Amino acid sequence: MTHNYRDENLLPIFQKLQHGERLSLEDGLVLFKTNDLIALGKMANYVQQQKSGDAVYFVLNQKIEHTNVCVLSCKFCDFAKKKGEPDAYEMTTENILAHITPEIREVHITGGMPPDWEWERYLDIVRGIHEKFPEADVKAYTAVEIDFFHKKFKMPIEEVLKQLQSVGLKTMPGGGAEIFTERVRKLLFPQKIGARGYLEVHKTAHRLGIPTNCTMLYGHIETFEERLIHLIKLREAQDETGGFLSFIPLAFQPGDTGISVGDGSASGGKSHSQFTSAIDDLKTIAVSRLMIDNIPHIKAYWVMLTEEVASVALNFGADDIDGTVGREHIAHDAGAVSPMKLAKNQIIKIIKDAGKIPVERDAFYNPLNAFGENIIGKIPFLNSVSFYHNLEKKGFKILPVSPRRMGMLSKQGQLDAGLFSLMDYFEQEEQLELLDLCIATRDQVKSVMLFSKEGWAGLNGKKIGITDETATSVQLLSVLLENKYRVQAVPERLHPGVNDYSMFDAVLLIGDEALKHNKRGLNGFELAFDLAKEWYDWQKLPFVFAVWACRKALSGERREELKEMISDSLEKSEIDLGGIGYPYGKSFGLTKEETKEYLEGFNYRLGERELEAMNVFKSLIVKINVIV
Amino acid sequence: MNQLSIYEKVNAGNRITREEGLMLLQKIELLDLGEIANVIRFRKNPKREVTFVIDTNPNYTNVCNIDCIFCAFYRHPGEEGEYTYTVNEMIQNFKNTASNGVTTVLLQGGVNPALPFDYYLELVERTRKEVPEVHPHFFSTSEIEGMAKVSGLTIKEVLQKLWNAGLRTIPGGGAEILSDRVKKKISHLKGTSADWLNVMREAHKIGYKTTATMMYGHLETDEDIIEHLEVVRQLQDEYHGFTAFIPWSFKPGNTPLHKIIPTYASSTRYLQIIALSRIYLDNFDHIQASWFSEGKKIGQVAIHFGADDFGGTLYEENVHAEADFVNKTTIDEVIHLIQDSGFTPVQRTTLYKTLKVYEKIQAA
Repeated sequence: MTHNYRDENLLPIFQKLQHGERLSLEDGLVLFKTNDLIALGKMANYVQQQKSGDAVYFVLNQKIEHTNVCVLSCKFCDFAKKKGEPDAYEMTTENILAHITPEIREVHITGGMPPDWEWERYLDIVRGIHEKFPEADVKAYTAVEIDFFHKKFKMPIEEVLKQLQSVGLKTMPGGGAEIFTERVRKLLFPQKIGARGYLEVHKTAHRLGIPTNCTMLYGHIETFEERLIHLIKLREAQDETGGFLSFIPLAFQPGDTGISVGDGSASGGKSHSQFTSAIDDLKTIAVSRLMIDNIPHIKAYWVMLTEEVASVALNFGADDIDGTVGREHIAHDAGAVSPMKLAKNQIIKIIKDAGKIPVERDAFYNPLNAFGENIIGKIPFLNSVSFYHNLEKKGFKILPVSPRRMGMLSKQGQLDAGLFSLMDYFEQEEQLELLDLCIATRDQVKSVMLFSKEGWAGLNGKKIGITDETATSVQLLSVLLENKYRVQAVPERLHPGVNDYSMFDAVLLIGDEALKHNKRGLNGFELAFDLAKEWYDWQKLPFVFAVWACRKALSGERREELKEMISDSLEKSEIDLGGIGYPYGKSFGLTKEETKEYLEGFNYRLGERELEAMNVFKSLIVKINVIV
Repeated sequence: MNQLSIYEKVNAGNRITREEGLMLLQKIELLDLGEIANVIRFRKNPKREVTFVIDTNPNYTNVCNIDCIFCAFYRHPGEEGEYTYTVNEMIQNFKNTASNGVTTVLLQGGVNPALPFDYYLELVERTRKEVPEVHPHFFSTSEIEGMAKVSGLTIKEVLQKLWNAGLRTIPGGGAEILSDRVKKKISHLKGTSADWLNVMREAHKIGYKTTATMMYGHLETDEDIIEHLEVVRQLQDEYHGFTAFIPWSFKPGNTPLHKIIPTYASSTRYLQIIALSRIYLDNFDHIQASWFSEGKKIGQVAIHFGADDFGGTLYEENVHAEADFVNKTTIDEVIHLIQDSGFTPVQRTTLYKTLKVYEKIQAA
């Protein structure tokens, strides 16, 4: 990738990004004001590639708007009706269930706020969907609605959320944020809850283990500065809780709404073309990706952006395009030009057209299916950075995926190559061929950690939480428990996004999560065991966590190309492991020295001792049942 | 050959090869392609200006005997809905539009075998004489070949007579994809690539300026696109007669080709083609973004990928009862679309002379 920027003001900002530094409000203004759209896009793409490679996520989703009756009168909305108006409607749980089909993986529920619904009716919707369609994750009720429940039913916000969670709520949508400044709120939506209320609801949800999305409504009367304040507030909230999954900039749809667009400095006094310009849409996506460094995904919501602009946005920092949606009233009523429903195939086409990998996800962004050719799986942990950092892709595409999910996708025949967790390699040995590269420890590793309240002997019969990401480490733990320490514990799979471990006696964490807690300690767990060290002390052998392999079906030529590509990248990276790893290591508190030490602690080439270690481990594997 | 070497080559002002062109189209990421295109765009046109022309796009007849399967416009002689206007009617049409500020009339028809050559000559002569405010930008290569057929004259003679009547520029439509393999399938009666190039060459020799177009997104391969750019670039080296290159994507609605190609080419593809054209056609002064065919939003994005012209306001495509109102809206909207993209709109003539620069009024 070349970086030849026409706007010199962007250079210092790009340097900050290369060092993993956070951008300031002033940087954001420079970005919004630049005319070098290509450079802005390339910067956002650079950051997005580090987070999600070439993947673009979509979900088979159904949007449900259970009622359009609303007690509020927000100026930008022409969806809401008053009770008794001719077009007003209210759906029963039964009506709602009739809209859901078995292939749906996420049900997105938002609606108006009617004056006379009982609390039970809201719970019943979530419960009804969850019971009848357990495969579909329920994403329900915006912060504005949660706050409405809290006031109307006189329950603390936490209680509202806990009750919803208990009947099957998995995640929450991000609507209702609008623009966080009081100036705009007073002018456009004085009845809405504002920044403080919105963030309080979301942070409470995060603490309960309910991940959420967040949004920004732009392109009306707000200034660029107000947009940036909004983005920075979200970034700060994410620093506190880490519970936001994705950010969605929503382009204002003028239509028949009560807002006359004309005094927004952000659009340079936009008074004529009422819809946001494509340039503003793309810039807003890119600036969001660059400002919000801690929210994993940025969504280009095609229903509002149009398919054409959404597809282009996938090269400007967005890595999610929402989904098939199914039923969509709000944007449509205000004049959005996209068709009501895009079939899955059309979504896949939009993503492929942009040169990316369409990845079907669940509500937590776990990949379920990847579509396309020449896909290489990437373990998105610091310990793999040396393989990918200097990779010249040569027509291959990169899909970041946790070790366990990589095994699943490979089994589905959707990956051509990857750095496989050792257990997955064993399981698929017949279809895979080793590429002589690996991640093996010399003696300790620091990123496969058992945090425990008890010593090893004390774990007998105790509950151990197992991270959702692991395939091999959980097996290593079992081997250690059964063969080295002769204890039997009860492993239980942790849900993604859950970070309350209090119900467990020990927790197995891997990768960056483990590194983070290894440095800071994990609250409530006094002991920390490095599993690789436990193995080494016992077997006097390295431990191989992952091996590079490709499908045997891959042509010999392509295989050689791949091997060369990865080896080249590794060699280049080894010149300065601390330097390339630091931007990642910094995000969980490692110094450059510590990053270097950690990365130098691995052996990346599969030698005789590593092969021996693999065989010894294979002979010790015990059958484990992880409770899901 | 890799991305960096191509970037350096372009930066040094050197021409890229067919192989490099193909690599740009197939292997380079979208924004990298845009970055390279802008090297040439800003070398040729260093100002952050994007031109447009106030034009109209009427048709004097929809009768046509060429049967292109990508076309939804034509009717056969005698078919319901066919029309052919008289010269008087067309002159009146031009007068109306001229009074609304139109400076260019891009006139094309079907290829109607019933019209004599004099009809065309009279149309040009009377336009020059009676509506001097507008520039006649008349007749595609297919119509010029049709005139040769009805008159028994050579292409060169037809062009010379039209020149003498006052015609100075010719639109570049009808090129589609200059690959005979594809042309045979989509427009077998329209003539070969060589025919299109021949009319253009003869025109350039006489002194005409023309545009060149490309319609992609149907049966062509990537190699066909490179071939098209290559032959157009070669002809441009001979007489430098092309003012601009205008690519657009095939629109399947209501055409027989729809059965084979049901979906639109993507917006990403369009931006790639715009950027590739800007890089490959190093001897063209302008690349035109077609907001009318690709949508306003993607038109806006295209001017960041190497296009420096926004095409015409297409008065007649928008004519309704309150014609002048609609026209005003259209011109204003084009100006706003360009301004919102971060460029200064400049109204131009058919021959790319500046008529008016619309400096942006800064919001306080």
